[in-house]
Amino acid sequence: MSKMRESLIMKVHYGTALGAVALVAIHILFRMTQDFSASLQYQSVIANYHFLPYALMLEVVLILLSVHGFNGLRVILLELKQGIGYERAVNYGCLGAMTALIVYGSRTILMAGVGMT
Amino acid sequence: MERQSNREGIKGMMNPTRYGIERFAYWLQRLTGLGLLFYLIGHIIETSAIVEGKAAWDKMLELTQTTEGHIILILVIGMSVFHTVNGIRVMLGHGGIGVGKPGRPDYPYRPASLNYKQRLCIWVSIALAALAMMYGAGILFGE
Repeated sequence: MSKMRESLIMKVHYGTALGAVALVAIHILFRMTQDFSASLQYQSVIANYHFLPYALMLEVVLILLSVHGFNGLRVILLELKQGIGYERAVNYGCLGAMTALIVYGSRTILMAGVGMT
Repeated sequence: MERQSNREGIKGMMNPTRYGIERFAYWLQRLTGLGLLFYLIGHIIETSAIVEGKAAWDKMLELTQTTEGHIILILVIGMSVFHTVNGIRVMLGHGGIGVGKPGRPDYPYRPASLNYKQRLCIWVSIALAALAMMYGAGILFGE
């Protein structure tokens, strides 16, 4: 991340934002296909994960939001303070946290999707 | 030393009262962004209960499907809508759309980029967030 130009990172930031808005809208609409509390029942949620296109969409949403969210946090932290050591720590810290969140979320999608519950 | 003393750090960043509504929108964009990031992390942790089986999922629902949980969700709806609409304004502004033409700086030195279109967009972002929160409250608490 630290080797990438900031202009390119901002394009990624805006691209992930637009992608996430579209896909999160679909994610919310899925909850509204039935009564809200009924859509949260175990069988209903498991059925969502077993539907491959929806599970793939969840994975894409997870990646888009994690990249956008942790890059946003990186921008806020870099606006606050500057310095070679600090900037490196923020860049790699955000990259690490983003990767950890994607791995943890993907584990849930994969395990629920293949029925390892 | 002089430069050091001018630094306001986090206090300066958290002060939304100076420089008008544009500064308030900048502050709110960052605040809602942080709120949504915390929610994303919490949402991924809460939904991971599904892999522990039905009992764990139902226990998680008992914790989150409460009045407090619904209030947090309503706040998340408002934060999402404001962050999205204001974010689109910022994106368009970075692309040079809606920021006006550069002109000679004359007294009272109002920058062309902070024009009525930008201010209107900020108020529309706030209004849409409020409407979405009311709609969300209607669904979560029953109409």
